[in-house]
Amino acid sequence: MFTLEAFILATVFCGFLGIILKKNLMRKIISMDGMSTGSIGFYVLVAASPGVRSPIVGVREAAEGGANAYADPVPQAVILTAIVIGFSIQALMLVGVMKLSRENPTLDCQEIESNSL
Amino acid sequence: MDTLTIIWIALPLFVGFSIYLLPKLSRGLALLVSLVSLAYGLWYAFSAEPLTLELIDSFGVSLFVDQLSGFFILTNAVVTAAVILYCWSSGKGAFFYTQAIILHGSVNSVFLCADLISVYVALEVIGIAAFLLIVYPRTDRSIWVGLRYLFVSNTAMLFYLLGTALVYQATRSFSFAALENAPTEAIALIFIGLLAKGGIFVSGLWLPLTHGESESPVSALLSGAVVKTGVFPLVRFALILPELDPLVRLFGVLTALFGVAFAVFAKDTKRILAFHTISQLGFILAAPAVGGFYALTHGLVKSALFLIAGKLPSRDLKFLKKHPIPTSLWIALAIASFSISGFPLLSGFGAKVLTTKNLLPWQVIGMNVAAFGTAVSFAKFIFLPHEPSLAFSNGAAANGLSLNGTASNGTANNGTASNGASLNGAAAHGTANNGAAVHASADSSSGNSSGNSSGNRSSASSIPQPGVSFWLAIVVLLGGLVLANVFYYDAYSLENIVKPLVTIGLGWAAYLLIFQKLSVKLPRVAEQFDHLIGAMSLMLMLLFWMVLA
Repeated sequence: MFTLEAFILATVFCGFLGIILKKNLMRKIISMDGMSTGSIGFYVLVAASPGVRSPIVGVREAAEGGANAYADPVPQAVILTAIVIGFSIQALMLVGVMKLSRENPTLDCQEIESNSL
Repeated sequence: MDTLTIIWIALPLFVGFSIYLLPKLSRGLALLVSLVSLAYGLWYAFSAEPLTLELIDSFGVSLFVDQLSGFFILTNAVVTAAVILYCWSSGKGAFFYTQAIILHGSVNSVFLCADLISVYVALEVIGIAAFLLIVYPRTDRSIWVGLRYLFVSNTAMLFYLLGTALVYQATRSFSFAALENAPTEAIALIFIGLLAKGGIFVSGLWLPLTHGESESPVSALLSGAVVKTGVFPLVRFALILPELDPLVRLFGVLTALFGVAFAVFAKDTKRILAFHTISQLGFILAAPAVGGFYALTHGLVKSALFLIAGKLPSRDLKFLKKHPIPTSLWIALAIASFSISGFPLLSGFGAKVLTTKNLLPWQVIGMNVAAFGTAVSFAKFIFLPHEPSLAFSNGAAANGLSLNGTASNGTANNGTASNGASLNGAAAHGTANNGAAVHASADSSSGNSSGNSSGNRSSASSIPQPGVSFWLAIVVLLGGLVLANVFYYDAYSLENIVKPLVTIGLGWAAYLLIFQKLSVKLPRVAEQFDHLIGAMSLMLMLLFWMVLA
């Protein structure tokens, strides 16, 4: 569990560093996606802390305690919303980048910043 | 009241999408929604019973409305109504109103939420709607400003999401109250999200560019209502959990000083206003218990100021100092500036007094310095030169045909009497006669109310005339400012009145003697995109340290 948590936090951290260090706007957006993958993974991990079986009504008897315990459905439901939101924001940003790339084919962030300010 | 609340939350979303199907009704429907919110906000601002709605088997997911929410909802309603009136004859498409109303609805829902995950969803919807409003002109510049906003806010919200997961892991609940038993790093992560979203302290450096470069009505919406969504949950935290109260208050003082320090030295009207928004958010946080009233007065004043700034011939203060502005515009500008400096008779005074009374002893010095800085920065607007009979054209257009005097007087005086019929007239004339010239400018509103004079105007470089819809919006905002006095009329005692007058006097003296001559140019490096994200990581470290200490 701790190893998994460490990996997930490392994903978030790498994504964040990518946002700062990458010069290309497109790569910055992909780094942000990496970061959001990390936080989604964290929710899945939190959900899996009581158990890993799918929480389906009807097979309840088999799952009392021990290795057969259910995963917590709440964080999974919540993160589904966050995935959809993240996806739509990503799509909007890519449309914006497409528009910007006509004037700034290199998509260099600092160049765009100095051109458009 | 339960059903009514739920209908009211859902209404803007339904109407928002139907506007897109019924473009002819767009403006009317949008105005209707904001009026419904106005009624709802007033009901709770005049202290109806607090209402709690809980999801069954809820994991802490709940809505909570009380007087504090009432004030914030009222702010949002009045600002949205004024912005829609302002845009009435500007020829904006149904898309604009759709986004404005969806933004209105999601801002309202933040003011109702009492759990972390609903706040997250509402804040992200706000981010998307605000992005679409910012990029409405579709220029490269606006797209970059919008992208930058969306990027910063989404990165901050990812940290917030991590914090929320930690809270759930520790307490199996998403409610605000669960923060009490949450690990400290969860609090730090949630705070960084809200601080960045609300434009507070160093994390708020994205705000001047975004608010300064957007169109005036969008700036008014963003500054008047949208940034308060980041502040509102912080205020709630401070009220629910006493141990977070000092942290929020400290950020309040720091933000108030930070914003005003930039505002005093800025030389661009819209940047002064944007930096000043940062400082005023600090005032809201400095006294969380009475933050609602302060948010109301600030929302009204700041959106009025942004709308007026959009009608000034230039954004550069040096230009404005040499070229007088029309007196009618100056009066509106001065009233708003007086209110924000805390001058009696306007509710900015009541809000300042109330906030001052709720400060802790260690905050007083900082907040007084910030109030002094406010007076200094708004002296820049109050001491602008103005001329009564000036036509709405700038120096370059003066060699063309000048306006006949009745047009500018007419627009100033006819207030509310004859707007119904002439609004449509102005819209028709605006598009027919001066279409190319006026609509090319980003801030173009209507033509003018009398319509007949727009034909003989030199259209080469003249600025858009403030029409009826502009004055109607200003009357709504400034009228609200006077009426809001009823919430706290106890403020009018001799002792209370003397103090702001002294502060304003000192501020003006300092401006005339010192700051007017200074030309300090603060570097803008920190506002670059990479530095904004970098500053976020520094803030996160600072927060960890503050929360753990």
